[in-house]
Amino acid sequence: MDKVLTFLNTVFVQGFWKTFCVKWVWQTFCVKWVWQTFCVKWVYQTFCKDLVGKKLRFNSWKGWIYLLPAIILLLIFTVYPIFNTVMMAFTNNYDSLESIGGTSFEFGIDNFITVISSGDTFRTAILNTMLLCVVTVPLSTMLALLIAVALNSIKPLQKFFQTIFFLPYVTNSIAIGMVFAALFDVVGDFSKPYLVESWGFINTLLGKIGVQPVNWLDGIGVFGDATYWPKFAVLVIYIVWNALPFKILILLGGLQSVNKQYYEAAKIDSTPKWRVFTRITVPLLSPMIAYVVITGFIGGFKEYTSIIGIFGDSMADGQLYTMVGFIYDALPDAFYGEASAAALILFAIIFAVTMVNLYVSKKKTHY
Amino acid sequence: MKVELRNLTKVFPSRDKKSGKDVTAVNNFTFEIPDGKLVGLLGPSGCGKSTTLYMISGLQQPTSGKIFFGEEDVTELAPENRGIGLVFQNYALYPHMTVQQNILFPLQNLRGKDKMTKEAMLERAYEAAKLVQIDELMDRKPSELSGGQQQRVAIARALVKMPRVLLLDEPLSNLDARLRLQTREEIRRIQKETGITTVFVTHDQEEAMSISDVIVVMKLGVVQQTGKPQEIYDNPTNLFVAKFLGTPPINVFKGRVENERLYIGENAVLDVKGVKDGNVTAAIRPEGFVLDENGPLVCELSNVEIMGRDVSIVSRHSESLNPTIRSIIDADNRIDATAEGVRFTLKPHKVFLFDAESEERLYFEV
Amino acid sequence: MDELKNEVTTQDVDPEVSVPTEPQTQTGDALTQGVMHERDMKKETKKQDVMKILGKIGVYLFLSVMAFIVVFPFLWMIATSLKHLSEYYDSNLDLVLFPGGPRDFHNFAEVFTETDLGRYFINTLIVGVASTFMSLIITVLSAFALSRLKFKGQNAFFAGLLATMMIPGELFTITNYKTVADLGWTNQFGDGGWFNAFLTLTLPFLVSVFYIYLLKQNFMQIPNELYLAAKVDGTTDLKYLWKVMIPLALPTLISITILKMMGAWNTYMWPKLTTTNQDFYLITIGLREAFSSADNQQPDIPLQMAAVTLVSIPLFLVFIFLRKYIMRGVSRSGIKG
Repeated sequence: MDKVLTFLNTVFVQGFWKTFCVKWVWQTFCVKWVWQTFCVKWVYQTFCKDLVGKKLRFNSWKGWIYLLPAIILLLIFTVYPIFNTVMMAFTNNYDSLESIGGTSFEFGIDNFITVISSGDTFRTAILNTMLLCVVTVPLSTMLALLIAVALNSIKPLQKFFQTIFFLPYVTNSIAIGMVFAALFDVVGDFSKPYLVESWGFINTLLGKIGVQPVNWLDGIGVFGDATYWPKFAVLVIYIVWNALPFKILILLGGLQSVNKQYYEAAKIDSTPKWRVFTRITVPLLSPMIAYVVITGFIGGFKEYTSIIGIFGDSMADGQLYTMVGFIYDALPDAFYGEASAAALILFAIIFAVTMVNLYVSKKKTHY
Repeated sequence: MKVELRNLTKVFPSRDKKSGKDVTAVNNFTFEIPDGKLVGLLGPSGCGKSTTLYMISGLQQPTSGKIFFGEEDVTELAPENRGIGLVFQNYALYPHMTVQQNILFPLQNLRGKDKMTKEAMLERAYEAAKLVQIDELMDRKPSELSGGQQQRVAIARALVKMPRVLLLDEPLSNLDARLRLQTREEIRRIQKETGITTVFVTHDQEEAMSISDVIVVMKLGVVQQTGKPQEIYDNPTNLFVAKFLGTPPINVFKGRVENERLYIGENAVLDVKGVKDGNVTAAIRPEGFVLDENGPLVCELSNVEIMGRDVSIVSRHSESLNPTIRSIIDADNRIDATAEGVRFTLKPHKVFLFDAESEERLYFEV
Repeated sequence: MDELKNEVTTQDVDPEVSVPTEPQTQTGDALTQGVMHERDMKKETKKQDVMKILGKIGVYLFLSVMAFIVVFPFLWMIATSLKHLSEYYDSNLDLVLFPGGPRDFHNFAEVFTETDLGRYFINTLIVGVASTFMSLIITVLSAFALSRLKFKGQNAFFAGLLATMMIPGELFTITNYKTVADLGWTNQFGDGGWFNAFLTLTLPFLVSVFYIYLLKQNFMQIPNELYLAAKVDGTTDLKYLWKVMIPLALPTLISITILKMMGAWNTYMWPKLTTTNQDFYLITIGLREAFSSADNQQPDIPLQMAAVTLVSIPLFLVFIFLRKYIMRGVSRSGIKG
């Protein structure tokens, strides 16, 4: 991996390519072509034509005046960041140059190389994030589907249950993360049972059915020997719990809009229930399922606050780093270049996963 | 207030960028609407009648041409400064306001010297509501009203600021048949009482004929004919106008003129003095047929419909451009419904000749 | 008589079905079979009814269990917040939610004396109300322009707006963090400090593309004739917006307001990055910071839970009273805050 990167670096950044291709492409393509065709032409056609033409109509400007506050803020906090982030990510050695006020920035992919090869941190982050997505999205979707179907089949108390199941949505994810941490927490030194102050609610409950206590979290703020998987399990439980309401809401909405006649027709043909579920409900619901899965993946890739909620700022001493966590951790240290590179990688991954999801769901959805 | 349209033209830029053909919705429309009259703009959908109305209202700007209210040029004036009342096809009542609030709304917008006190506004609103007989419904929301009542509220809202011109855009098309009849009489009554110059857009010729003082018939943006309803009915200038007006519709035949006689098929059916020889299109109003055992127009009888006062005879003819010929004759005539054929003579003033190519009227002396 | 009847039936039978060979006995058999069949059906329906009831019980059981799991963290949180520290560390009471003895709210009182959460509540309220208010104005004006007015470049602008929705927010945060620092807004001490903090916490999130989109769609459903009618009646654009469009789009506006307020209440990352002066912490970060350096001995979890409950209560209240709007907004947006 490192060798490939070094090779790429020499070819693209240091060699002949850099001076020629990059500069040439930049100057001819970006500067001249993009500027002329897009900006100049567009601006002229939208604004100036009126001025040059017969008379200026206030109406064609009025819209922009209403949009002015939004445009100003968007320019500063949305448009500029897009370009600037890309620029920072592709500027070699951006961070140290920034700090000394340097001006001769150099195009290159050093930041990406640093991020990818910078020890385990980024790799842990990517692995954690992917693992979280792969585990939580199917789990929460299936659970939500079951609950939604069950909710849809009852009449009395439906509104009541619906309200209860929506409750986790209106929470502060940091606050409730702390509740989950407390539920699983073992206070005291886990390795010396006589020193444990409290086994925590979950461990006590498990003890009642004869399961050995598990050191879920190392205790809040205490460095211990808890392994990775118990922590991961707690995180998964929390994320699934947190993700259910939205999914149930969407899926139930979808179920309620399915034409009842399909079910009546199936009933007349005395179709067994599971067959109704797999052959009618799921296919008719496939657009909603696709939507829920895609948003689930996007949310999963941005998982961050739930981890802070349970494990605190250290993110379990880096064991549960995620991609967003990596980005935010780099900022206070002014590692802008690396953070930008990581953000672009995140964007690329989310984009790719969404595209794959869309492609698959297009093939699988029955509309 | 008389309204004058001078060479009014509206061109819409083409939506389809490839063809790049602009659409001319209204083409060179010149007309003077006399003061205090009710004018019906009549034509099939897409003929530019609504565009004309919107240009009079100021909601759309003409591409060229001028609009005068009285002697004042209002072409550049914003809609709110023209002093017009507009009733939309779907009434456009504000759904969250009561009837009273809806009617008050235009008055509350008045500024400067026109500004009114609350009491005066309320009084005016009640006046308008009484005029359209909805003063009992003032506290209801539009959703609690029937279609006819909503229509009245819309008219009251248009009338409340005492407009110089009242514009009605297909005001009856959302009502059921019985209500439509009732409401159009109502509109006529209100217009007569207030004496406001009114322009009325419709695609229903019966509607236009029954309440308008003057009708303007339009087709594809071009005015075809203007005049009093009866004049246009009795004297259409081209085939389109002849076909568009009248129920049941006019019967159209292929014919030719030889030696100042009109031939339909092999028989000469009418003397037409002053028309040159050649192919023509002959249009005969349903009431223009007279039963005659020796009549020159020989048709194949297919059906007799008895309607009480009249009898409608449905027949066929090989030269007819309609699938069937419908003629209306007095019920006093006895007719054998089982007979195979039926013969007619024609009333000359109910027969119109048109050039087969240009479809323009060919006049003959009766 | 019987024979005749039988003949008729055999004639009626489809020729492909095997014709019974002994017509004499057939009649009786057929009759009893018919009765048997009828009885079977009755039995069958009865069985089906039982199955149906069992199925319903199963569904309710499943939902009840799931519902209990879903609400349990809240229950436990509230119950624990009412415990004394000694009760919490009494291993006999681990599974007892409400042990005997007097309950009191001393933990809640302690939250305000031991921590600065009270101040953070007020900070959050100020930031939340102000940013929601400003954001609503911007959203309404933009949605109005995009839905009702016609002007050049409108479609291109809208398309560009939608395109920004695809980009994850983290990408903006990096540069915005830098921008805010460069503007000196991270200098939050001294005289203008509070204002710098206020700008930092509100400005970057005032424009929400999604809410503009949502409101624009809602505005578009209002028939154009209403706008034309108002114009004929001499209404200015702003008055029309205020008197007609806003009342008609009120449900959506309420949804947006609630979600925006909830977003301000729950936001963590941005204030964590940019708030340099502890005095201007928002509630979530204040909560996390107040309890992150727990002592090893006996962390005061009841106190923690009291603080968490306090943070959660406003959200619950909003949810209980405005559930309809929240659920409608969420089902159309799918984003949190």
